[in-house]
Amino acid sequence: MTELLRTEGLTKRFRGLVANDNVDFTLDSGAVRCVIGPNGAGKTTFISMISGHLMPTAGRLWFKGREITALSVARRAKMGIARKFQTPSVFDRLTVDDNLELAALGKPVSAGERRANIEEVLEITRLHDLRRIVASALSHGQRQWLEVGMLLANRAELLLLDEPTAGMTAEETSATGELIRMLADSRNLSIIIIEHDISFIRGLKAPVTVLHLGRVLVNGSFEEVAENEHVRNVYLGHE
Amino acid sequence: MSEKRTSAEMGLPASMRLYSETTVALVIFVLLAALPVLVSGYSIYILPQYLLYGMLAMSLGILWGFTGILSFGQAAFFALGAYAMGLAAKWGVTGNPAYVGLLASLVVGAGLAAVVGYFLFSVGVRDVYFVLVTLALSIMVEQITVSQSQITGGYNGMFVPRFSLSFGVGPELDLSSDAAIYYVVLPVVAAVYFLLRWLLKCPIGKVLVGIRENEDRVISLGFNTSLFKTAAFALSGAIACLAGALYGAHANFVSPSLAGVLFSTQVVVWVAIGGRESLLGALFGAVGVSALSNYLTAVIPEYWQLVLGILFVVVIIGFKGGIAGAIGRVFGGEAGDGGRD
Repeated sequence: MTELLRTEGLTKRFRGLVANDNVDFTLDSGAVRCVIGPNGAGKTTFISMISGHLMPTAGRLWFKGREITALSVARRAKMGIARKFQTPSVFDRLTVDDNLELAALGKPVSAGERRANIEEVLEITRLHDLRRIVASALSHGQRQWLEVGMLLANRAELLLLDEPTAGMTAEETSATGELIRMLADSRNLSIIIIEHDISFIRGLKAPVTVLHLGRVLVNGSFEEVAENEHVRNVYLGHE
Repeated sequence: MSEKRTSAEMGLPASMRLYSETTVALVIFVLLAALPVLVSGYSIYILPQYLLYGMLAMSLGILWGFTGILSFGQAAFFALGAYAMGLAAKWGVTGNPAYVGLLASLVVGAGLAAVVGYFLFSVGVRDVYFVLVTLALSIMVEQITVSQSQITGGYNGMFVPRFSLSFGVGPELDLSSDAAIYYVVLPVVAAVYFLLRWLLKCPIGKVLVGIRENEDRVISLGFNTSLFKTAAFALSGAIACLAGALYGAHANFVSPSLAGVLFSTQVVVWVAIGGRESLLGALFGAVGVSALSNYLTAVIPEYWQLVLGILFVVVIIGFKGGIAGAIGRVFGGEAGDGGRD
């Protein structure tokens, strides 16, 4: 596996508050990684520095071997980094089809290829029958899937998913788990997921990075992390 | 929103919704083309002016209604176009001064808007701050045309001749008659309408609507939105300036007040009343409100502005999509559907 993303000493300070402190992180292409941690651990800050929505106070990032530390959000998106926001960020007044079409226009491909890709995304995200519905009429879970679909239509290679199962039914949550596995296994996409839902994370069977007070507390499999005493203390509030 | 969902659930094909506004527009343009055969006199004299106001309104519609950028500076471009036309004639440029003036108006409008837009958008000037800058642009152009009186004639304004069209061979087509210039203005306005409609269906149009709806999402999909916004503003500036060039020639006159904030505000009112998310709404909002103002000035000279003011307030409060939006709702979401064809 080749390395897709690397961060070195990534640090973000907001005035006095240290949101991320010296985070070293690597992700291979086709890999899934869960980033967990209690509220305020700096998970969203971390993802924002990868997507370019926040600039690091210190530290550097590389994507596909190129340094991206100073690049804008749009430039990083063009390179293949796409983000799903905590609250679904879609085009509410446009139809599902138009949402995907607009996302697909972000990469220079022929119109025919674009259409084919959108059809495929509609199947994957189970939005095929809803394609002419405006996004605001979708359920919360469907909007989450639409946003993931937009990242796919945009031909992203690294998906940053900030709480992808928030507001979903148990059924939708498990379907989302399957979707993520499928995207990594058969489409070779790399995925970083921020989640709170522990059973969802367990089900993903993916390596976990635990953040605490902006630092990497531990890396490992779900079982290793769950056994870790530090992690237990952090989550139980002893530390 | 629910209306839209209903029309979609009924299985109304997208192509039908797409054609309906175009069909309405075609019918109206054909009727307008036939009008000089049926009537003559004042209506045929004044209609081209209203249509050029409509073109100015469309220049704001594409910007405000479809890209989400409100400008209070459209009058500045309009006036610059008229001055370009007047100066081309005054300086006796080689060739047909009308062509030089029209071309210059396109270049000046697009160029000024591109420069202003690029510097503002690339540093992230948005929303109300952009409105304020465009407002200042109107004031600046007005002040400059006042102060540079040796060129512009200052407060006294400037004569702009009705031009002739030359075709390289054969006689020139003299546009001094009202019907003749009517048949120049109408196709130009119709062409601008259909050009913009076409553009909105192209990828760039979809990106512009995306910027209106959720700019951060568009950026996160890899688009350099400041370039798209600059392009939209440049296009808008070029159209406003071209409309102004034709207006100057039609009215035979341009003065600094044409660039003023008052007139800029009027453009916003036309578009709001007509329906900012429909080009046809913007176009005929301008024509309708101008005609109504003209009529009311004669009938109730003391109160006409009050009537317009009340109409404006009612539309803003009751019909956010303007008249086109209200019509669109009645017919299941065809007009004023935000370019979502």
